[in-house]
Amino acid sequence: MTTLATRVLIIGAGATGAGLLRDLALRGVQALLIEQRDVNSGASGGNHGLLHSGARYVASDREAAMECRAEGDILRRLAPQCIDDAGGLFVAVRGDDERYVSDFPGLCAKSGVPCRALELGTARAMEPALSQDIIAAFAVQDGAVDPFMLSLDNIAQGLSLGGGMRRNLAAVSMDVRHGRVGRVECRDMTTGENVTIEPELVINASGAWAGLIAALAGAQIGILYSMGSLVITQDRIATRVINRLRPPSDADILVPGGTVSILGTTSIRVPSPDGCRPSVAETDRIIDDARAMLPILERTRYIRAYAGVRPLVSLGPAGDDRAVSRGFALIDHAADGVDNFLTITGGKLTTYRLMAEKAADLACAKLGVSAPCRTRTEPLPPSSLGRWTEPGRGPKSWVESRAEDDIVLCECEMVSRGVIDAILDEAKDMRGRSMLKAIGMRSRVGKGPCQGGFCGPRITGHLYDREISTGTQGLAELKTFTERRWRGFSPILWGVPLMQADLQEALHCGAMDLEFGPPPSTTDEESEKCQATGELP
Amino acid sequence: MKKYDVMVIGSGFAGMAAALFAARRGLSVVQAGATGGIDFSTGFIDLLAVHPIAEQKVWEDPFAALAALRRDLPAHPFCRVSDGEIRLALEEFTSFLGEHGLCYRGREGKNTLTLTAAGTMKPTYLLPCTAWSGVEAWEAKAPALLVDFYGLKGLSARQIAEVRGDWPGLRTARVRFPGMGGELYPEHMAWSMADPARREELSKTVAPLAADVQYIGFPAILGMTDTGAVLSHMQELLGKKVFEIPTLPPSIAGPRLRAAFDRGLPPLGVRTCTQKLITRAVCSDEGFQFTAGSGSTSVELFAHSAILASGRFFGKGLKADRHSIREAVFDLPVTQPENRSLWHRPGFFDPRGHEVNQAGIETDNLLRPLDADGQPFHPRLRAAGAILAHQDWMRMKCGAGLAIATAYKAVISL
Amino acid sequence: MDFFSIGLALACLSAVCGTILRVRKWFTRGKAMAGSTHHGPRSLRWAAGLADLILLRRTRGGLRRRGHALLILGFLPLLFLHAMDGVVTRPLFAAYEPTLDPWQFLRNLFGLVSLAGLALLLWNRTARLRPLSAAQDWALLAVVGGILVSGFFLESLKIMSEADFTRMADDYFPEAESGELLALKAYWAAENGARFSVFLPTAPEMLEQGAELHEDRCAGCHSPTSSAFVSRSMAALPLSPAMADRGRAAFWYLHVGLAFLGLSLLPWGKFLHPLSTGANLLVRGGSRNSQAQNPPPARGLGLDACTRCGQCSLHCSVAPIHTVMGNADILPMDKLSDLRRHLDARLSPVETGILAEGSHICTECLRCTEFCSAGIDLQDLWMTSKQMLSKAGRAGVDGEIRKSTAGEWAREFASGRLGAIGGTGAGLADQAESFWGCVQCTTCTGVCPVVAVSEDPSRDLDLTPQQIMNLLRMGLKSQTLGARMVWSCATCYKCQEHCPQDVPVADILYELRQLGAEVLREKEGRS
Repeated sequence: MTTLATRVLIIGAGATGAGLLRDLALRGVQALLIEQRDVNSGASGGNHGLLHSGARYVASDREAAMECRAEGDILRRLAPQCIDDAGGLFVAVRGDDERYVSDFPGLCAKSGVPCRALELGTARAMEPALSQDIIAAFAVQDGAVDPFMLSLDNIAQGLSLGGGMRRNLAAVSMDVRHGRVGRVECRDMTTGENVTIEPELVINASGAWAGLIAALAGAQIGILYSMGSLVITQDRIATRVINRLRPPSDADILVPGGTVSILGTTSIRVPSPDGCRPSVAETDRIIDDARAMLPILERTRYIRAYAGVRPLVSLGPAGDDRAVSRGFALIDHAADGVDNFLTITGGKLTTYRLMAEKAADLACAKLGVSAPCRTRTEPLPPSSLGRWTEPGRGPKSWVESRAEDDIVLCECEMVSRGVIDAILDEAKDMRGRSMLKAIGMRSRVGKGPCQGGFCGPRITGHLYDREISTGTQGLAELKTFTERRWRGFSPILWGVPLMQADLQEALHCGAMDLEFGPPPSTTDEESEKCQATGELP
Repeated sequence: MKKYDVMVIGSGFAGMAAALFAARRGLSVVQAGATGGIDFSTGFIDLLAVHPIAEQKVWEDPFAALAALRRDLPAHPFCRVSDGEIRLALEEFTSFLGEHGLCYRGREGKNTLTLTAAGTMKPTYLLPCTAWSGVEAWEAKAPALLVDFYGLKGLSARQIAEVRGDWPGLRTARVRFPGMGGELYPEHMAWSMADPARREELSKTVAPLAADVQYIGFPAILGMTDTGAVLSHMQELLGKKVFEIPTLPPSIAGPRLRAAFDRGLPPLGVRTCTQKLITRAVCSDEGFQFTAGSGSTSVELFAHSAILASGRFFGKGLKADRHSIREAVFDLPVTQPENRSLWHRPGFFDPRGHEVNQAGIETDNLLRPLDADGQPFHPRLRAAGAILAHQDWMRMKCGAGLAIATAYKAVISL
Repeated sequence: MDFFSIGLALACLSAVCGTILRVRKWFTRGKAMAGSTHHGPRSLRWAAGLADLILLRRTRGGLRRRGHALLILGFLPLLFLHAMDGVVTRPLFAAYEPTLDPWQFLRNLFGLVSLAGLALLLWNRTARLRPLSAAQDWALLAVVGGILVSGFFLESLKIMSEADFTRMADDYFPEAESGELLALKAYWAAENGARFSVFLPTAPEMLEQGAELHEDRCAGCHSPTSSAFVSRSMAALPLSPAMADRGRAAFWYLHVGLAFLGLSLLPWGKFLHPLSTGANLLVRGGSRNSQAQNPPPARGLGLDACTRCGQCSLHCSVAPIHTVMGNADILPMDKLSDLRRHLDARLSPVETGILAEGSHICTECLRCTEFCSAGIDLQDLWMTSKQMLSKAGRAGVDGEIRKSTAGEWAREFASGRLGAIGGTGAGLADQAESFWGCVQCTTCTGVCPVVAVSEDPSRDLDLTPQQIMNLLRMGLKSQTLGARMVWSCATCYKCQEHCPQDVPVADILYELRQLGAEVLREKEGRS
């Protein structure tokens, strides 16, 4: 039974929580960030990775469009290591709404979003994968962002300035007395240990879980859960972000992600933020729709699919006047009778810094801290925490600077044993949880074409060799890892990926009989509570 | 254009078995196929070990399991072959392998549990003789040393020892493989073990670590074409019983089998079109005209009969797009789930297995594939092996045995 | 001192000094190539060498052999018996006069034979060897041809020359009366083709008198000019006596001048080949194989013995590569002359690079050595020079690549210092489709014999085939170009044959190698 005191308690290590840890630290405010699983376990880890130019919202939400533009500029300037400033195109194909096309440039201008019309031939020369049937093309300033590197870099700077962080620590109850949260009871999901935290102020940055966390303090937030699925291609199909030029709907965007492209998305109402996974039907729908603008999507090889749950705040009694923008919601629960508790949720990855700033402003006002926000001007230093997630980093370091007796354990992405050992040594506090999953989060392991089918068993062997796994625990972790990757793998199993899955099952079940033996080592995320209830309008 | 009695489509277990059985029965045989599933074989010959798969019930007696299976699953391909045919087929197949340096053994009417690279014990029916001492060692829980090598990714002795908590006498050691450094590949190691000097070097490294054990287990690298000789020499040098454990891919079980067939089939008169897939098939009353390969190296062949043993997705016998599964050579109707969302289950390790693995070709009792009306597609076309519907070889543990037995049945029914 | 003595002295000086310098080069160049080969005692098979030399056994091609045979048969006697008649013929034959038979006749005969031979050689060079020919080839033909042709002209003009007659008459018939002189002139005009500016009688008694006088005074040294059958027929040319006289003087200077030119040029380029090639044939002793342990002077001699006949280049096994790449040093003849220049330190760095490339493309098939008319042990020269070039830091693309690590090359290629990689991006290595099928089975690496024979693949080859495929799939081409696997690939195609998913592994490795070679060539300024 441990008790921790902290000035600010931030719940949820997504992009917003990470940004808050940094923002407060830069203002000299000590904060502790707790997270029930691992960094970016929610929407921050299941999004498109798109740095919005804002052009997508010029018709539907001008404020969001302007916000995206401003924040995008800031991020490009201050966190270039996380950004691939590839540029973007908006293209319409035959059959798309032509009035939207003709209104588009004017709407962009009104929102201050730079946009330049292109000759169709020029557009196709820039992006040879575009269809012959495009009828209009505009260039915009979209970019791609690595959300993991972004969060990890924010956290790293926050920690270096005196902040703290604990993973696998879930808030289970809050003790509210005299209109204040006095204690937050937490449980360590690894050890089962109970931890009590005594904060001066609590910021609920738990994204899709914000409603559940707020409820612990007796506050009500109406949150709707919208799941979006995306598919990843083996190759980088386009240099730039390619957007469909029509009123925003599904399957509109292809975003480059290093050496791959990410295609999406969908929008399906689900009852819970937990346990959601992409489906075959969504995958087919995405491809059927997007192939109109990029025909190669019908033939290309996909690696996997994934899904994230977006929290949509329905404006309930406490939220009305505090919403800074319709994009995100900042709620001061003083209105609910809890003075030192606030919630920041909703929004987009692109605007995380702004969300953190607004939340930190409110928090500092409550704490009586007058230091101003510095994240508008302070560059985000690159950290070592995120470096192995960068695509191509593993193979480049293998070629240029490997140790003599090093070997490659993840062949698809060429992640060597040395890199994995470095990650294991850094992530020491993950002992007891699946090390394979931790390695997967901090590197490209399992993200290549084999989706962990081959590297999973090899790295399991290595974990045993390093005496990190004992008994049958390693096999249980391997099964967990495989099941986790299966969630993303199973929707895209046709053509070559089906052969890959065939091989994987032949190895895991046909050869090693792993379908017997110990069950997967963790029970979270495997629940099938989440069922699609229908699509959002 | 040369005319043959039988065209065997596929060079996996079923294809190799069919070519062998047909050639031994005096038929002129031509075979086409490419590298495929056999390269991922463990080298074990499974017959049947799990039924029903949803209950994960493991059987010690494969024939008792067969009886239960035939009763419960009347559409399963094992219903088309009798126990007697199965026994004959396995006998003929393994004796052929034995003639070509790959000796197999098992216990009549009993499955044997054997060690895998993961440390799990897997039931199988016939094993390479080089693995047999491992079975004895485990059954007796005798003191044993598992050796692995620096740079060999496919086997962790420590993992096996940890997982096998039920075998306290198991110790592990990691040594350098003589003459090789950096990343090691089992195929290269196995070839180098053909050199007695290499074996002596290896024994010198291992012997001091094995003083107090009775058995020594190695990753499967004990030779490529003369595993028996390599094994006995190692036993002689070390003075202990020695056994092999199949590694993670790339393992050499597959290449060993492939090498045995490459050596053994041509002398029986089988013409092999290696690394060529069938790209065109035209059927008539006289028989079948095939084009093997494509472009300037394609070959035209004519055969009176044909055996379709082309495997599943990895073997290229079945092709899947986003919506459906098709059979690659004749476009035979494929029994399959209604749509792709039914192909796989949400849990990879779901004991019920995945529905798509039971998709495949329907046949009659003579293993003749059926057309859309349920009639034999062609009187002299047969199907064998994993391409058949209503079986899940990976969960039932019946892959090689099913392939060999159905190949036998297909040949004798011609 | 007159033109003749000065000219002769200078020409001899040039010839002797030049030849000494060139012979010295046989030793110095040979030593520069020596390396560390051990030279054991050698037995020289003189007889076989002599037979090669005399019977022109190694000279291939009808035109060339016949041309050489005729030219040698004709020119050697001319050289020894005519040009050097003062030191050879006169001492041996007391009654020698150039205008006497058989010498006059023989001179014409051998001259004609030489000219016939030269014509065949000229035809051979223009019809077959023009692309391989350089200035020295035409110069030698021109000088020798010039000597022969000018000799005929000289003789015919001498026959025609009035001034010569007058001089001879003054010297040997001073007391002649005008009538007698006239008769003699008439005789000479009628019988011997002399041209006079005065009117000559043709009456028979005058001719008879002339004949008698001729018998008395001239015939001792003059055979009838009809035996100089070539020159005599040329004496029918319609020239005025004044022109003939002037021509005679001019052609004398021309003929003698060309002869001196030829002599003084003897040590230059191909002009020495009669000596050096002859010597080489003797030293080679009839062998057709490569000795591989030639002592340095023999190597130096071999380097010098090239007759530029072009046979080696015409039969070179890698000539098709020359057609594609355009590097002249791929072909043996040019490679040999550039190798000489390299040994004299006269090649620029770019030219040395071209030589190194030509040297490394050679497959050492021995064909050039077999075909060489001069019997040069080319194979030995190529193999030794390869080592020498490698040691001097010109190891060819394959060797250059291995001097830096894969990582260093990755940085160089990625940095843009070496120019853009892969022009059109349309190669197999650039197309995503090439890698759609890969299922990470590592079969390509498992069957690779180069990986199999390596004791430590990562150390020796940097990357295995399947790792290269993965890097390319990820778009990291610059990391692969310097990997030694690419450069050690034996293109046995096992990887591609065994790949279950039709990934063109071998084709891609080959493409990478081509690309790396092209980039390095650009780096050396030799694109």
